[in-house]
Amino acid sequence: VLFNSYAFLFGFLPPVLIGRWALRTKNQRLLFLTLASWFFYAWWNWKFLPLMLSTTTVDYIAALAIQATENQRRRNFWLISSLSINLGLLGYFKYADFFLNNLNGIGRVVGASPGLPVLHIILPIGISFYTFNSMSYTIDVWRRRVTPTRHILEYTTFVALFPHLIAGPIVRFMDLKPQLQNPRTRLTSHAAGVGCYFLVCGLVKKLLLADQLSPYVTTLFNHPHQLGFVSAWSAALGWSLQLYFDFSGYSDMAVGLAWLIGFRFPQNFNSPFKAVNISDFWRRWHMSLSAWFRDYLFIPLGGSRRGPRRTVVNLVITMFLAGLWHGALWTFVVWGLVHGAALGVHAVLKRAGMTPRSTIVNRVLTFAFVIAAFVIFKSPNLHVAGTILSRMAGSAGVESLSTLQAFLPARFVVLMLGLLAFAQLAPNTWEIRLKPRLVYGLATGAVAAAAVVSIAVPHKFIYFQF
Amino acid sequence: MESIAPSAGAEQVPADAPDAAAEERLERNLTPAIAEAGESAGYLRYALGTVVTMFVVLGAIFAFNVIVDPFSLAGTRLLPTALENDRTAKLDLIDKLKHNPQIVVLGSSRSRQADPKWIQELTGKTGFNAGVTGGDSADAWVMVRNIAARFPHAKRTYIWFVEQTIATNGINPQLAQDRRSSGYLGQAGPRFSLADVGTYLGFAATKASWRVAKACIEGHCHGRIRYQPDGALTPASQKFLPEKAASLPKSVKPHLKAAERAPTHVTPFDPRSPRYSYFEKALAYMNAHGATPVIVLNPIYPSIYTALQKRGFAKRNAGLALLRKLHTHFHFVVVDCTDIRVWHGKKKWFNNATHVNGPNMKLMLRYIVAHSQGAFR
Repeated sequence: VLFNSYAFLFGFLPPVLIGRWALRTKNQRLLFLTLASWFFYAWWNWKFLPLMLSTTTVDYIAALAIQATENQRRRNFWLISSLSINLGLLGYFKYADFFLNNLNGIGRVVGASPGLPVLHIILPIGISFYTFNSMSYTIDVWRRRVTPTRHILEYTTFVALFPHLIAGPIVRFMDLKPQLQNPRTRLTSHAAGVGCYFLVCGLVKKLLLADQLSPYVTTLFNHPHQLGFVSAWSAALGWSLQLYFDFSGYSDMAVGLAWLIGFRFPQNFNSPFKAVNISDFWRRWHMSLSAWFRDYLFIPLGGSRRGPRRTVVNLVITMFLAGLWHGALWTFVVWGLVHGAALGVHAVLKRAGMTPRSTIVNRVLTFAFVIAAFVIFKSPNLHVAGTILSRMAGSAGVESLSTLQAFLPARFVVLMLGLLAFAQLAPNTWEIRLKPRLVYGLATGAVAAAAVVSIAVPHKFIYFQF
Repeated sequence: MESIAPSAGAEQVPADAPDAAAEERLERNLTPAIAEAGESAGYLRYALGTVVTMFVVLGAIFAFNVIVDPFSLAGTRLLPTALENDRTAKLDLIDKLKHNPQIVVLGSSRSRQADPKWIQELTGKTGFNAGVTGGDSADAWVMVRNIAARFPHAKRTYIWFVEQTIATNGINPQLAQDRRSSGYLGQAGPRFSLADVGTYLGFAATKASWRVAKACIEGHCHGRIRYQPDGALTPASQKFLPEKAASLPKSVKPHLKAAERAPTHVTPFDPRSPRYSYFEKALAYMNAHGATPVIVLNPIYPSIYTALQKRGFAKRNAGLALLRKLHTHFHFVVVDCTDIRVWHGKKKWFNNATHVNGPNMKLMLRYIVAHSQGAFR
């Protein structure tokens, strides 16, 4: 079920809020939230609920087993078992067909087609997110950074909590532990106000901004061979803005819902298009994922402590896997590698003191790189990505006026430029210091109604596919 | 609480994104600026203001849409619907008929160019066009029964224009809510459901309601498409037909693309399927009253027809196979008009990719009458 649907907003959320705040004891509250979250997940496809439950059970047991022993070999055994099961399930459901297709492709190239049957596996929604949540827990226990919980409801609530279950933010047990151990006992007006604010901001970003760009962007990406210089850049810009407002809108809704049910989630976006270099971009874009890769992959690989060459290699490996995390497509892999290479180049240039000094130049260059790379992310295959990127480089020249008129209607251009200015200049939802006054409440309510009116045909959030 | 986020637009660029020192920074920013003011009475006013305003605005929108009822879902019927409501218009005309029509035209908007006066010229028999926008077998069933109720002892026969899929069991909401159809549709008609609440909270419904309300305020509340007493379109209505495309090639293009991707194989249509229930009911009723209806497969624009032919025309073949099966139980004549060349139709005489215009319909009717195997005698 989508956050931006009538069923969720008026069918699921109100009873969950009532139940959450009406129940008296900690166990009742956590049990209720767990069951509500499982119901939320099963609403999409109940057959995949056992998969999430098995991941939850494995990591709960593994973490306790790691904690129970001081023998390092046993601790390693439990960690490796947990990671193998988690990554095995993720690998099977997300990457098995990709692997088989590529094996068949290689076979055809070398003239020995193995003809392996493709399994047509359905990707369980949210698997990448809850697997990473759960894995971070066992790793942190193994690192002795966190004490595992014996209270199973604390753990099931941590993994399944519906606001972050499907598309993040990827929360750590450390983030939620105190909140799970002592769940808030009443919904304060403060929490309700902040929750409403974030929920409405998210709805507006998704429904009134991202979804409005969607048809124009789709048209542009469906006609890569007809694009010229301007329309190709418009495709890249339009898609980047759509993705940003869609995903940051989802994250805002998740944060708002968390506040409404008594939790606090970490910030997931911090005006990424204001980044002054590619490293800065990754501190601002999908922050919970980049922090996950930093803490559980980049730093264990050696981080930036083993000299420039090794730093570049570590960055490329990290970003390769971050790209692959997004999906089993070569476009994601290449997108990750391109970012890894850019991070590496930036690290080397920075060490040599060769980065531009002007903030404006840095911002423009970073933004241009990021939106060009997003073309690879969006394209159905590398051929389309290559076509659009070559047109962005001017290979087809500037298009005729009639082509521009066909691809770039005034509404799209105005919307795109408005959102570009907004993303570059305005404070983000975490920075806005809206005074909690009645008049702002009335305005927020009116905007919320406008967003709800546009729900009639809900569009999926882009990050659901990951 | 320390945030890993740098301050916006910072000149001092933080160290490379993943760095060693980050290992120590496990606490993340959980407190947005809006929450920094701490508890205050203002939050209660803000939260209540948000929730109450949202529900008041949504309630007003919903009430407005239910009152105007642009898609005829609530059954309010105070104003005309946003969509053309020719079902009610045709049922009204049937109520006012002075003589029994000897030939009744049934079908969708693709049949409404069939002029009963031309049919009379061809056959010598009076006619009535009961075709309606989006007309399906439930519409045909209700029209047949209403005409029969009006002239219970008179005989008549039928020209029934159908698509390649022959029929569905869907019931148009406007039809279901007309009191004159309720007796024939039983409980099958749709009721206002939760999904309709969503529809009437939506932008499309609100826009349609606004259009209807505005038209009423401006004094042209009732549509510009009018019918003559025999169900034929008035000449003045021709230019307002929704199917009248500004550009015929443009209207053909998407259909052509779809035809080029048409499935080469379809599951055979099963006559026992509920989708044919009203179709078969209507055939049985016509036969029981001595009529042999003429079932006409609607024409297809030539280039689309060619594209479908190349793909094996699976749907039409399945439709014809179904009609052959039904022939063992019912009496009817099939006239296949899909290929306009057989009835000497003109490629230019199409209103859009799917609708022939009046002159082309005349040519087609001449062919239908000639190949009706005496059904109109």
